[in-house]
Amino acid sequence: MATTAHVRPNYIMIWLYLFVLTVVEVLAAFLSGIPKQWLILILIFLAVWKALLVALYFMHLKFEPWRLRLIFLVPLPLAVILVVTTIMEKL
Amino acid sequence: MQTSTMIDAMRPPSPAEPGAGVYSNKLGMWVFLASDVMFFTALIGSYIILRFGMTDAWAAPGAVLNVPLTGINTFLLICSSVSMVKAYAAIADGKKYFLRPVLGKTLRDGGLKFWLLVTILCGAAFVGVQVYEYIKLVEHGFTPAGYREGSQLAEHALADPIKYGAQTGAMFGSTFFTMTGFHGFHVTCGVIAMSYLYVTKVLPEKYSPQDYRGIETIGLYWHFVDLVWIILFTIVYLI
Amino acid sequence: MTSVAPAKPDAHGGGAHHAPMSFWQKYIFSTDHKIIGIQFLFVSLFFLLLGGLLAMQIRWQVGFPGKPMPGGGILPESMVVNGVILPEYYIQLVTMHGTFMVFFAIMPLLVGVYANFLIPLKLGAHDMAFPRINMWSFWLALLAGLIMLAGFFVPEGTSRAGWTMYAPLSARPDLSGATVGQMLWCVSIVVLGLSSVMGSVNYITTIINHRAPGMTWFRMPLSVWALFVTAILAVLALPVLQGAAIMLLFDQTIGTHFFDPVAGGQALLWQHLFWFFGHPEVYILILPAMGMVSDIIANGSRKPIFGYHSMVFAIIGIAFLGWLVWGHHMFMSGMNPTLGSTFMVSTLLIAVPSAIKVFNWMGTMWRGNLRFHVPMLNAVAFVSMFTIGGLSGIFMAATPVDIPIHDTYFIVAHLHYVLFGGSLFALFAAIPFWYPKMFGRMMDERLGKIHFWLTFVTYNLVFFPMHMIGMGGQMRRLYDPTIYDFLKPQQPLNEFITISAFALFAVQLIFAFNFLWSLKKGKKAPQNPWDDNGLEWSLPNPAPHGNWAPQTPNVYRGPYEFSSPEAGDADFLPQTKKLPTDRDPVPAPLPTGGH
Repeated sequence: MATTAHVRPNYIMIWLYLFVLTVVEVLAAFLSGIPKQWLILILIFLAVWKALLVALYFMHLKFEPWRLRLIFLVPLPLAVILVVTTIMEKL
Repeated sequence: MQTSTMIDAMRPPSPAEPGAGVYSNKLGMWVFLASDVMFFTALIGSYIILRFGMTDAWAAPGAVLNVPLTGINTFLLICSSVSMVKAYAAIADGKKYFLRPVLGKTLRDGGLKFWLLVTILCGAAFVGVQVYEYIKLVEHGFTPAGYREGSQLAEHALADPIKYGAQTGAMFGSTFFTMTGFHGFHVTCGVIAMSYLYVTKVLPEKYSPQDYRGIETIGLYWHFVDLVWIILFTIVYLI
Repeated sequence: MTSVAPAKPDAHGGGAHHAPMSFWQKYIFSTDHKIIGIQFLFVSLFFLLLGGLLAMQIRWQVGFPGKPMPGGGILPESMVVNGVILPEYYIQLVTMHGTFMVFFAIMPLLVGVYANFLIPLKLGAHDMAFPRINMWSFWLALLAGLIMLAGFFVPEGTSRAGWTMYAPLSARPDLSGATVGQMLWCVSIVVLGLSSVMGSVNYITTIINHRAPGMTWFRMPLSVWALFVTAILAVLALPVLQGAAIMLLFDQTIGTHFFDPVAGGQALLWQHLFWFFGHPEVYILILPAMGMVSDIIANGSRKPIFGYHSMVFAIIGIAFLGWLVWGHHMFMSGMNPTLGSTFMVSTLLIAVPSAIKVFNWMGTMWRGNLRFHVPMLNAVAFVSMFTIGGLSGIFMAATPVDIPIHDTYFIVAHLHYVLFGGSLFALFAAIPFWYPKMFGRMMDERLGKIHFWLTFVTYNLVFFPMHMIGMGGQMRRLYDPTIYDFLKPQQPLNEFITISAFALFAVQLIFAFNFLWSLKKGKKAPQNPWDDNGLEWSLPNPAPHGNWAPQTPNVYRGPYEFSSPEAGDADFLPQTKKLPTDRDPVPAPLPTGGH
């Protein structure tokens, strides 16, 4: 069954990316120069980047049929709707 | 009527219409992971909602929690994710080498036993460090109910209420222990599941490049747990 | 493929590729989806009976407040004093009636029974994708039910916060009086959520990957479409409830403060989490019913379902919109009015796909060669009663109208019209319809008709007047309406409802008798007693272990080819019947096995 030849991603490179991003994150959190709002955005951006690396390469979503990616994508808007609506409700 | 004569692990057990294009174990695990996303949404979402709704200051990063130690722990979990995917690649590709440039050794299963063992050990170590962290936190005075009266932490909070988030300590404790606790529970379940597979299927070499479904399936779960931690570490420890 | 034992599916029929199984493996710890479905059936019918008994006690108290209840003497002093139901017990009855009915009766009856039983049979599969996980799903559901039941036997009894478990009442034992019972509710829900998620993963995977050759997506019966969409709702909604229940449990046990405003928590957070789950939950409770009713109405009308594709898209539309309406349960919570308007609009919108379905059912029946067998009678009642329930829903969807009627009996009337008038009538249709497939015998038709008519009349006598007393201002979960002067004039109606309720309950004994008696003494069923097209009717009754194993049926057409010219003399054309003009379907190529 493993007859389809294709390029396997370089897992060690991804590991290095993740290591560097983690270090950047921790450093950024303790650099007192950056205003809080920007810091939060940067940290979340970095976290999402790392999460995407894990999802796309380690979990192979990049190479799977699009229907499988759909399964993982579906809960995300629901999560956003729940959190945003509840926060808004208090405003 | 059609009769299935061939047993191929990677397809449905009988002739079928085109489905998701992947074998059922993998599909089922992805559906389960979607449900787990919703579970963590409830917990993490509540944290975001509660913290957003606080008018008083939340504890500053690093004031209560041990960020350097947890940073190392995060790296440990990421390493376990890498070893997991190496284990999967070893059995999926059926390559017969193992760390050729370093050891020049050849292993029957391409290193599955080695890499999976590394994953299990890193995972167990992660849980161990977290348990240690919890013990230290509770000793210091940080509990799910907030800052324990009379503890060191409570004194710090009195001295510097902004940095230690004195008014929001109860919510900090509630959300921190629930989120990281359930994540830790997921990690523990993963370690137990991998250990079980290790003993019953990996050691007796039941997996092959023709059928490595169990490895890929548990691998997906393990990567998911790592993914959740990446998010959790950022929003709980660093923000 | 002959079956030997008439009452239960046995292991020897059809491609027996197992060694002979012991009694325990075959009937108790079975991984056969049909047995698991039947196990769910027996357990859920028990919980349905329990829920009904709780309701009878509620009705006694509301109809005759302060009067000693017949048989009240057997209950302990903590619940009933001199035969009179105590307020502390009354609120437990209300809470547990809702909890048991929603989580342990209707949901498992619709999903646990029929998703398990029908999906592999209607798709041509041998079993579910993950048979052992399926077995675990049942045992976890049973465990959850027993944990919930244990609440009656602990000090201070069960939870007292209503099935919706609002904080802070549910989070603080000093406020509600319930201690262990409240924790048991939380634990039970977490376990049940696990069971539901495991089941749903199974249903989704089986429907996607295990359809027989020729069973394309748009040849699936509507019952399977509905169960598929329901499973997606369940897999995404239940975990949110589990998270909330865990947070509630922690608030009571380890001192967290999620829902405690004093320490910075938010009581409303519970409502948001609960209803974010709760609204998809009510669609979980109605969609499978709609799906099965579609199959039965097409069968009883001897006509294809009117607008099959729009029915599918309506199911998907209802499920999709269902995620965006949860705030309509919280109009009175003091929410931001702009947000309230958004929820009002989305809730009104969701009436559209539901209405499409109602018109399509009517279109199916129009000029059909109607056969009013017992399943058809109940299915038609479903359509009319669900419509009434849906119409009262429109009232509530409009926020200004909801202001006076929220938390009154008008709401109670609405939810019982959709849950009893809807889901339960659909079950009264589905149970006799698939009974032959389960047990190899028919339920008695005459008893079924008597049960139907008596239920239909008494049910409306119970729940329709509730609209009126609700409009008159009677609040939900109220212990004694007569303490309010403005409610006293309505008390005769309350008494009338109570007496009708006792009659309704008594009539269900006919159904219970019919169900149990027919297990052994029912007429032996022919292979296709309803002249239906579904794949399941191409198997003997009861269906054998492994279904068609080792073979797989081919599917040549959709499920609703009734009165088709191609069928010749017969007025139905089964999905697996090969006509000379049909070509054999080609099975899918091998899926990629990972990279």
